[in-house]
Amino acid sequence: MNRIISTLSRHLGETVFSILPAIPYARKEKDGCPGVAVSAKQLSAAARADGPIAFHDATFEIPCGCRTALIGPNGSGKSTLLRVLAGLTPIRSGEVRIGGEPPRLGRSRIAYLAQRPHLAESFPLKLRRLVQMGTYAHHGWFEECQHGDEAVDRALSRLGLTDLADRPVYTLSGGQLQRGLIARAVVQGAEILLLDEPYAALDQPSREIIDRFLFDQGHAFTVVMATHDPADLGRFDRVLEMRDGVIATRHACSGHDHRHA
Amino acid sequence: MRAPATTTAMLDLLLQPLAEPFFVRALIAVALSGATCACLGAYVVLRRMAFVSTALTHSILPGVVGALLLGFSPYLGALVAALLTAAGAAWLASRKGTSEDSAVGVMLSVMFAAGIALMQQANSWRDFAGLLFGSVVSVGGDDLLVIGATTAIVLFGLRALHKELELASFDEEYASLLGARPALMRVVLLVLVALGSVACVRLVGALLTTALFVIPAATGVLLGRTVPQVMGWGTVCALLGGVGGLYLSYYAPAVPSGAGIVLCCALPYLAARIFAPRR
Repeated sequence: MNRIISTLSRHLGETVFSILPAIPYARKEKDGCPGVAVSAKQLSAAARADGPIAFHDATFEIPCGCRTALIGPNGSGKSTLLRVLAGLTPIRSGEVRIGGEPPRLGRSRIAYLAQRPHLAESFPLKLRRLVQMGTYAHHGWFEECQHGDEAVDRALSRLGLTDLADRPVYTLSGGQLQRGLIARAVVQGAEILLLDEPYAALDQPSREIIDRFLFDQGHAFTVVMATHDPADLGRFDRVLEMRDGVIATRHACSGHDHRHA
Repeated sequence: MRAPATTTAMLDLLLQPLAEPFFVRALIAVALSGATCACLGAYVVLRRMAFVSTALTHSILPGVVGALLLGFSPYLGALVAALLTAAGAAWLASRKGTSEDSAVGVMLSVMFAAGIALMQQANSWRDFAGLLFGSVVSVGGDDLLVIGATTAIVLFGLRALHKELELASFDEEYASLLGARPALMRVVLLVLVALGSVACVRLVGALLTTALFVIPAATGVLLGRTVPQVMGWGTVCALLGGVGGLYLSYYAPAVPSGAGIVLCCALPYLAARIFAPRR
């Protein structure tokens, strides 16, 4: 029965997509990081359009390849800043550029992971399909993503998920799901990772796998991570502290070459 | 020699209605609209849109009655009314203080009340019982054409936008981040649901059409582990229920076809609910 369904679906798809033209979701981006991954001048923003300002007059820079920690108490605007950079929340005033452009939706080079992703409950979806969604960034409307399986397999294995690939998403633990979402960002080919407290509620094994991925390997990622864990900070190249609506760079280095081990 | 005699009798029971052209038309109609509703229903169920789909299907009543009064195609009237309901609910919910749930509730009751008021104006109740509860005999050649076209449009749309609809239903924020327009996908889905409900109103009736969106897909969710599998199992359930319901209402004319179809759809759901492995 399941084979009949997938055969039918494939044939129907071939017919449908031979009629319709493929249209990309968003305009293409320039390749490579332009030196400065994120820069902000006098930036202010609010979590909600009608809400109070979360932070104001923020001026900072994050070089390409720099692992940056975003620290500060609850409600200090860390999540709002990450959502602004992701293009999900509009700014109130000032100027901000990420990857050489003002933030907008539809950018494959930027991945954002919410603190608590709102995923539909008990949705019939296998982990492999979730990770495959990352490839959509390079396709668009009226196109099937049949290729890219290799990239999906590689990302699954790098995050220790190979054995879980055919498991429905709703049977995964929080840590496994979080790793799946990071694998999706990898498949997407993101160069700038915006992570909102990715370690919250993770068990040690999941945490170590994600850590190894973000810090130990020689990837040219730029990471901006909101975190509450003071023990973590030594591993970051740069620490931005948000307090009372103001952002201060507490600890900075030039990025790539001087990265702390 | 007893067993073959029983078999022949059973076969006769199954074959005899097939000699009637209206029954064959109804069978084709129920197969097409059942598949349409089951596939669309997968999203209706997974996105928890059952209430919206109820509102859309109920608003067919004022649409059809209004069209009869004004003298244009009842299908067009039904479609316009369903789209009006969706747009009205979206507009009401766009202001703070009205949740989408209550906005849909308001539109549902207002449209249905308008339908009842219009029915009184019409003075002739000829097709209204059929409109509310469905009727096997009412499917004509024109209806088949409309149902076939709707089925083709809906299945084409679902297949063409499969990955976007799946993504937007599962992880709306990621869909926005990729630029895959989840709000637009919601509108597309509502339009397809409006089209789908128009396709089955003849057989199932305005009051029960929503069941065809919900019951087969709910069965599919119990049995399928991917969205296409949910659609596939839902279609199987809708076909079993649809064909069973038509036979039921053929041999028991007191049972309107809509009621028969819905009751027969509930059986595979019940079986899946009891026997499907726990997720």
